[in-house]
Amino acid sequence: MSAALGNAGLLIVLVAASVGALATAVAIIGGNLRALRQAPIYAAVIVGGAVLAVISMQWALFSRDYSIDFVQRVGSSTTPTLYNIAAMWSALEGSILLWVIVLALFTGGVALRFVRRRDDELVAWALVVMYVVMTFFALVSFGPASPFAPGATVPIGFDGPGPNPLLQNHILVLFHPPLLYLGYVGFTVPFAFAIAALITGRVGEGWLLETRRWALLSWGFLTIGILLGGWWSYEVLGWSGVWAWDPVENASFLPWLTGTAYIHSVLVQQRRGMLRVWNLSLLIATFALTILGTFLTRSGVINSVHAFAAGEIDGYLLGFFGIVVLVSLGLIGWRGDALRAPGRIDSPMSREGAFLANNVVFALFAFIVLLGTVFPLLVEVFQDRQTVVGAPYFDRLSMPIGLVLLFLMAVAPVLPWRRASTETLRDRLFWPAWCGVGALAIAVAVGADRLAPLLAFLLGGFAAGAAGRQLLLATRRQGLRGLVGRANGGMLVHIGVILIAVALAASNSYTHSATLTIGRGERVEWAGHSFEFVGVSTEVTARADVVMADVLLDDKKVYAPAVTTYLQQGMTVPTPSVRTGLTSDVYLTIDGNDPPATDASEVVLRVFVKPMVLWLWIGGAVMAIGTVLSALPSGRSRRPTDPTSALVSGGQHG
Amino acid sequence: MTSRSRWKAWPSWAAMFVVLVALLAVGSTRDSGPLNPGDRIDSISRRVACPVCDGESVFESRNPASEAIRAEIRASVYDGTATDNEILASIANSYGGKVLLVPSSSGFDALIWALPAAGLMVGLVGLWFAFRRWREEAAALGPPSTEDYSLVEQARQARSEHVCE
Repeated sequence: MSAALGNAGLLIVLVAASVGALATAVAIIGGNLRALRQAPIYAAVIVGGAVLAVISMQWALFSRDYSIDFVQRVGSSTTPTLYNIAAMWSALEGSILLWVIVLALFTGGVALRFVRRRDDELVAWALVVMYVVMTFFALVSFGPASPFAPGATVPIGFDGPGPNPLLQNHILVLFHPPLLYLGYVGFTVPFAFAIAALITGRVGEGWLLETRRWALLSWGFLTIGILLGGWWSYEVLGWSGVWAWDPVENASFLPWLTGTAYIHSVLVQQRRGMLRVWNLSLLIATFALTILGTFLTRSGVINSVHAFAAGEIDGYLLGFFGIVVLVSLGLIGWRGDALRAPGRIDSPMSREGAFLANNVVFALFAFIVLLGTVFPLLVEVFQDRQTVVGAPYFDRLSMPIGLVLLFLMAVAPVLPWRRASTETLRDRLFWPAWCGVGALAIAVAVGADRLAPLLAFLLGGFAAGAAGRQLLLATRRQGLRGLVGRANGGMLVHIGVILIAVALAASNSYTHSATLTIGRGERVEWAGHSFEFVGVSTEVTARADVVMADVLLDDKKVYAPAVTTYLQQGMTVPTPSVRTGLTSDVYLTIDGNDPPATDASEVVLRVFVKPMVLWLWIGGAVMAIGTVLSALPSGRSRRPTDPTSALVSGGQHG
Repeated sequence: MTSRSRWKAWPSWAAMFVVLVALLAVGSTRDSGPLNPGDRIDSISRRVACPVCDGESVFESRNPASEAIRAEIRASVYDGTATDNEILASIANSYGGKVLLVPSSSGFDALIWALPAAGLMVGLVGLWFAFRRWREEAAALGPPSTEDYSLVEQARQARSEHVCE
């Protein structure tokens, strides 16, 4: 029953999206207004079909409908309800279904938001593009990656293994993938409007204004999704890190980098009418990279701890990626003349000059991450040997890039548009620069060493001073209202980024670790902390056996790093226990994979003392708040005579 | 010059620069002693790939193969005779060069280091050409004409009327 309903839902999505794309395109070309006004109806049908498919899948997981292959693989009667919900995106087919529902909701959102302008060609073409993308994912989900494919006959009493144990031992599993997908898929909206602008020739700034908030919120979702992934890794995997430069992590980071470049350079186009081709290219790159990333990590061509089992969708994804790139570049080439920028950047020492530099750095960063991610593939193709490119490579190259970005974050907010005089710079950068020196002085006073982290603290303080100066000036003028709007909300986002950069610099540079063997009742001192092995406790459920080593930390509180044995999978998963503090975390994990015996006379612990980790999550929260404030209208309307951009010759109407 | 802007004059910047250099010199040259053995084991194991896992380092992985390599690194570190690079070379000798997570800087692998440098150069040269073109375009326009001034004046008037409304 679930399978039939689910398949029906996906078929509805597939038919509505493909018919919607075709009918709307024909209506635009034929100038059939009546048919054009019906375009949003297809979006409503798509949402209905996708919701039906997802409800069917959730019901199948909830009722353990083992007639479905997917449920046989990830369902289990022992999985708690919350993780049962998350089981949908714990394997390839369900993750594509998640993509389908999120894309359906965005398509419905666009149709609803622009319902009064449904006979506007720009909106109609944007809907066509969204329907085409929807058709592709519905086709993949209905065909090669069907989550409702029938399973083999199972004996009576059969129970599935449930999701991967790592995906059922932390609440963040519920939020991290959906938020990440909201980010990935959300960029389809500005991409669709960009393509629509190219098709209609309305390549001025109108389409940018229509999609500014969609792009910003998608970027916000992607940011928070990535950070929650780091938090999950820290709390679950037991190696005490938040980011491993794994190919799947890189696949999420690549569109974030190009998306970040876009939300900066788009300001230059809105203000000066410049960088039109560049902005279109960044949006196309952002969308295409989400598809390429999905191909790289879902096709099995690159090994990743996150990757799902190789499916049959690699050809589909690669083909779609190729079509997206070719069609987009073809359209840019076709509109080449209309895209020519009417203005010029007068000086590198200007706001737009700084944005341009920022874009070059972000583009270089994205290139490095992409190169490092696909390099093992290139080596295999050209040299027929295997190689791995890991964190040390990415760390080495990302460190100088991070420092340059911090410097640009310090200087750009104080630069005026067009040109900055030396006096202006001297005046506006004075206190921010002292903030940087102050941050460096504090770091040196508390014992920080080595040049790279010291530069990070210096530039972090400098950038925080510049953002703080901007916020201070805005709140002086407008009170708390000064925090709202693109520029000032953006400064709050900068402060969040700075907190994260400084926290990463501190935790990566000054983490200390040790392997401690502690006898029962023995008290061991290390790195200014005391550890006493109190005993072993256990927790037995139908799903898993949890064996915990109880450790009294600093004579205050017992922490319990554990080894959990998931009975269905027969897999042991070590789970860390963390004491979180404002200045540092103490991270405890049992060494090895084997749970300690209940009467063990000693326990072997890996202990990490990690400075400033809490500030990563605080920085993420500040970024989220800043993104929301950026998306709110600031209430300052632009005067019609203010120069925003020059008119584009030809094709500009409506 | 107001007293406020006097504060921000060049001597204050020079003083700031001196303080900055002094702090960086103190911080970056202070001797914080050798790494403790645990930190050194972590540092080396981060540079070695787990030979049987999917893209994890020995530092991250809990696989028995990784545990074995970590034990080897631990023994070498506590032995105290080999440098980090010697320990890495010995592991590469035992398990093959593909376990090293930092690509070498010779042969085909050198591309992974050279291409980012080339990308940086392309970006910088591109910026230089773009700004040169814009400067030349601006110079070719010549000084503003009377017509330009009257256009600006009209815009200013329209703007002040809009503000008054």
